[in-house]
Amino acid sequence: MIRNLAEILLSLMGVLLFTTLILLIAGAPPFAAYIHIFKGSLGSLNKLSHVLNAWIPLTLCSCGLLYTFRIGLWNIGVEGQVMMGAVFATAALRLGMGGEAPLFYLVLAFAAGIIGGGLWALLAGFLKTRGGVNEIFAGLGLNFVAQGIILWLIFGPWKRPGIASMSGTELFPINLWLPQFPGLRMSPVGLFLAIGAIAVTAMILRYTRIGLQLKAVGGNERAAFLLGLNPARNMLLAMIFAGGFAGLAGTLQVSGIYHRLIPAISSNYGYLALLVVMLSNYDIRIAPLVAFFFACLNVGSIQLPMMLQIDSSLSGVIQGILVLAVLGVQAWRARIKIGTQGVKGSPGGANP
Amino acid sequence: MEIALQNITKDYGSVRANDHVTMRVVPGSIHGLLGENGAGKSTLMKILSGYTPKTDGEIRIDRGIVEYESPAHAAGLGIGMLYQDPLDFPLLSVLENFKLGQSSSDMTALRIRLTDLCRRFGFTLDPDAPLASLTIGERQQLEILRLLEKGIRTLILDEPTTGISGTQKAALFSALKQLADEGRSVILVSHKLEDVEALCDRVTVLRGGKGAGEMDSPFDPDQLMTLMFGTRPKPPPRSAEAPGGPVLNFTSIHARGGRTGLKSCSVLIRENEVVGLAGLEGSGQGVFLRTAAGLIPPLSGEIHLKGQPMKRQNHHGFKRKGVNFLPSGRLEEGLIPGLTLAEHSALQNGGGFWVRWPGAIADAARRITNFRIKGEPNLSVESLSGGNQQRLLLSFLSENPTLLLLENPTRGLDVESANWVWEHLHRFCAKGAAIVFASSELDEILAQADRVMVFFNGAVIKDVRTQETDLRELGLAIAGRA
Amino acid sequence: MNRKLVFCLAGLSLLIALIAPPAVLAADSPYIFGLLLVGPYNDHGYSQAHYEGGRYVEEHLPETKMLYIDKVNPADRPGVTIPQLVDDMVEKGAKLIIANSDDMKDGIREAAMMHPKTRFIHCSGDDVLTGKAPANLSNLFAKMIYGKMMGGFAAAMTTQTGKIGYLGPLVNEETRRLAASSYLGAKYAWEKVLGKDPADLKFSVTWIGFWFNIPGVTADPTQVAQNFYDTGHDVVISGIDTTENTVVARKKREAGKAVWAIPYDYKGACRGAEKVCLGVPYYNWGPGYVRMIRDAKAGDWKSQWIWMAPDWENINDPDSSAIGYNMGQALSDDAREKLQEFVVDLGTDKIQLFKGPLFYQDGSVFVKEGETASEKQIWYMEQLLKGMEGSSSAR
Repeated sequence: MIRNLAEILLSLMGVLLFTTLILLIAGAPPFAAYIHIFKGSLGSLNKLSHVLNAWIPLTLCSCGLLYTFRIGLWNIGVEGQVMMGAVFATAALRLGMGGEAPLFYLVLAFAAGIIGGGLWALLAGFLKTRGGVNEIFAGLGLNFVAQGIILWLIFGPWKRPGIASMSGTELFPINLWLPQFPGLRMSPVGLFLAIGAIAVTAMILRYTRIGLQLKAVGGNERAAFLLGLNPARNMLLAMIFAGGFAGLAGTLQVSGIYHRLIPAISSNYGYLALLVVMLSNYDIRIAPLVAFFFACLNVGSIQLPMMLQIDSSLSGVIQGILVLAVLGVQAWRARIKIGTQGVKGSPGGANP
Repeated sequence: MEIALQNITKDYGSVRANDHVTMRVVPGSIHGLLGENGAGKSTLMKILSGYTPKTDGEIRIDRGIVEYESPAHAAGLGIGMLYQDPLDFPLLSVLENFKLGQSSSDMTALRIRLTDLCRRFGFTLDPDAPLASLTIGERQQLEILRLLEKGIRTLILDEPTTGISGTQKAALFSALKQLADEGRSVILVSHKLEDVEALCDRVTVLRGGKGAGEMDSPFDPDQLMTLMFGTRPKPPPRSAEAPGGPVLNFTSIHARGGRTGLKSCSVLIRENEVVGLAGLEGSGQGVFLRTAAGLIPPLSGEIHLKGQPMKRQNHHGFKRKGVNFLPSGRLEEGLIPGLTLAEHSALQNGGGFWVRWPGAIADAARRITNFRIKGEPNLSVESLSGGNQQRLLLSFLSENPTLLLLENPTRGLDVESANWVWEHLHRFCAKGAAIVFASSELDEILAQADRVMVFFNGAVIKDVRTQETDLRELGLAIAGRA
Repeated sequence: MNRKLVFCLAGLSLLIALIAPPAVLAADSPYIFGLLLVGPYNDHGYSQAHYEGGRYVEEHLPETKMLYIDKVNPADRPGVTIPQLVDDMVEKGAKLIIANSDDMKDGIREAAMMHPKTRFIHCSGDDVLTGKAPANLSNLFAKMIYGKMMGGFAAAMTTQTGKIGYLGPLVNEETRRLAASSYLGAKYAWEKVLGKDPADLKFSVTWIGFWFNIPGVTADPTQVAQNFYDTGHDVVISGIDTTENTVVARKKREAGKAVWAIPYDYKGACRGAEKVCLGVPYYNWGPGYVRMIRDAKAGDWKSQWIWMAPDWENINDPDSSAIGYNMGQALSDDAREKLQEFVVDLGTDKIQLFKGPLFYQDGSVFVKEGETASEKQIWYMEQLLKGMEGSSSAR
């Protein structure tokens, strides 16, 4: 883990260096920019709560992705799973609009969100295990479909009366909003769920047979099959976990942040979580920290256009560089791996 | 060009691929390098062509010692190698491929050179055809011409007759003879007796990474066989128990897989039997074992296990009937890289939501003791040596199997470990299990099996009791002369 | 590792403590106001008009300072919410915050409730009318209906095919109102000035789904504009925040087609497309902002709904008129003259376009014969008008 951390710090340093260079080219003072990002994310309790608002869904998605990465699946469809979680949760909350027992509908929304995300993931899983469709393509396709469904709902059946706008569905009545910490724009429910997700994921991956089987199938599908495991079933299980957590994140976006369904409800947290998990080298102990860093960057970079009049796309550039850094670290790791295997090469390997 | 390899040694990690091999190639001769798969032929030639650095020994060219600094160095000295799969560019034209690596870039001149060379060797290559439209044989021809144009004086060919037609083979051979007549040296790497017999002036035989002997034309095939496969005295047949009831019954099974598939295979294997599968690697043994394990569904034919039809059953169904399969690729198919011994143990002892780690660690420790594995429960399996990986896999075989299907069960093991493994396996046999194993070592088959099935090109061409055959007969069958 | 983590956290909190801003601001510091822009501050459209209004305040009110953030929409800034930005601006000392888009209605109301001591202005909203607004929230908007009428007038005076396209954003009361105003202006010119048969005037509205293009989410305005021109509409009026219609028209003109365009929102929107631009109805937020902020600064604040009329003396006076019409070079001299007369008549109420009888698309009565629509009636139009093509509510 220490080595992992060192690697991550190294790539972050690289990102910092590169960003500094870009800032200099853009004619902005790099140090001031970093201070603003830092103050803009951790400068006050209020800001910290905004960071946590981003951290919570990121962490939930990251936890979910740990299951699919563990079994060797690239669940890029996590973005769509967040969306479908949000859609299902919205459906449940709409039932409760103007009704009694808001608590019941909130609980229902969470159940629905988990089911929505899970089902969407299961769909990608079935395409993979039954149809032989690569999960990356299936996931990307389903992301588009999910976005389409949201747009259709917002523009069609769930439109505001008399209005056809992409700005979202009618706001939920305040009793269907998740309760927030007094004076802070953050829900204790979300925080509790995110921390719970970390604990549960760590426990399942480490101490249960499910975790072991996911790891086995991910390590060597053929061998796992010979050892009596059912790779397809385990893949579906991993997808359900990933989709469930993503759906939970979607539910929180709807009930805790936007209080309605909007086209960009997923806030790209799914895609971002893929980076988080890769950058943290698939380690549950590191992923929440990296997610926190990303959340800080997301929230803090708003300060750049506001305080320094730097075009706001710079935060996009930073994220882009991060992607490259992640890929670089991945390639580097892969090379090290190949290198060590090369030494162990068998004489069979010497014969073409 | 005179080439002398002296005491060439090559180690890959702990494995010695070439062990003090010595070989001399006379100018103007066609020299054969003969040996089984894995005998070290390709390694030796890669060293000579500068592709792989040697561990020890010396290379003399025209009596001077050379130390290659790069692969290009060898090429500069005039040594060219034609790989099994020519290293060319499918998207370029024939002429463009011919141009690669040449000093001249004058396309008109090169076109004339290519046409001349084609005429000289009787090849018909269209300079403007896209390379992708050529057959393997034609790509070989082009590659030979390209190497000649580069001015090579020694041509190495690695298994050149695999995958080309009879006509192309004749054209190739006549071209090679012409090259030798012009004073160039040709080294032909092959495991096919007939190629060597037809072409070579002299042959060096490798076995297990060591030089087994040399011989001049005309060759005695029996003697070459002995050199290739060894001359250990036939071990006394195992005091086998009489075969019992039927375990595995194949009725005209056709299956896909590997290079050859499995063709019309009908076989009955009985309790207590130990059956060895011989043949060049990839001749159908692997497909046979995987079909018998339920891993490859047959295209046609029927499989019966203990008299019951096994239609539409996957490997897990076979496994429930007591079939155990041990693949050759330990880290590719058998074990899970990244998982520790204890984790493998935990996977074996299924059941329950939680993994009881203390129990799994204790179980792994027990296997380590019982199977004499050099390792720790918390070590990941890829850090074990090949032999220890094999022992771990053996420890996962069920207690009372009906049928054990083993692919190269002792590959890479030292003699002592191999003996230990067989001792262990024969115990299953005594309990009524049948064992079917594939091995590239005829010695092992003769020593351990009651019965041998020889595979050639996807079919069983010989099926005899071990007592009724010998090394020579099996060697010939392996080469397709049953 | 645990000990290391503790150290890290301790160090981090120390840093926070060191860098955190001082809680008390000096008394003589400038009056800070915040501006949330839905699009880029330099969009040559709606957001830039607001941005320049903010700059106008800084110039004309001493001791004021603007904080602004642009691209405030979930597509450009995923995960960033209005209340979150408001929190931040309040922390930075903003006393008054302006939200410029209809899209921010829910967010700004939520923020206003959270920060009762801060004043909020929502442009284009109606929370004060509906009674949803807390005491610290006002609505400010300009009577763009007149600007749109002028645009429609110019379009009808110019069209050769009699087909005018209206590139609409999303559908709501505001956008229906503005599309209808354009239509009424066009109809007036067609019928009363040119004396043509109203049945020959075709006015089609296509909605893209948002104020500007969001790839994959909205319809592509460039495509929609192109489609208009390709189907015989030779003038396209923009109702969206950006200038796609003008860009497309310029390209079509370069390809030899006789087409024109009318952009929207920003005074300088014709720049670079003089050959096709018939003028632009634009917002001039400066004077309105100055009034609101001066009052708020002086402690004279009340929650109100303001719909600012143009200064009919000179609609293009930057210091007094809330909207204006910047005539384009492509407008013929004759049309220019007629338009000037039209503007004068609008200002003197000689021409009253929201006068009955007016009918909705479905045939129901909007304004009865002999009556003139009230401000609220116009504000809350339920449908497009009879004679216009295009959907009134949803796609």
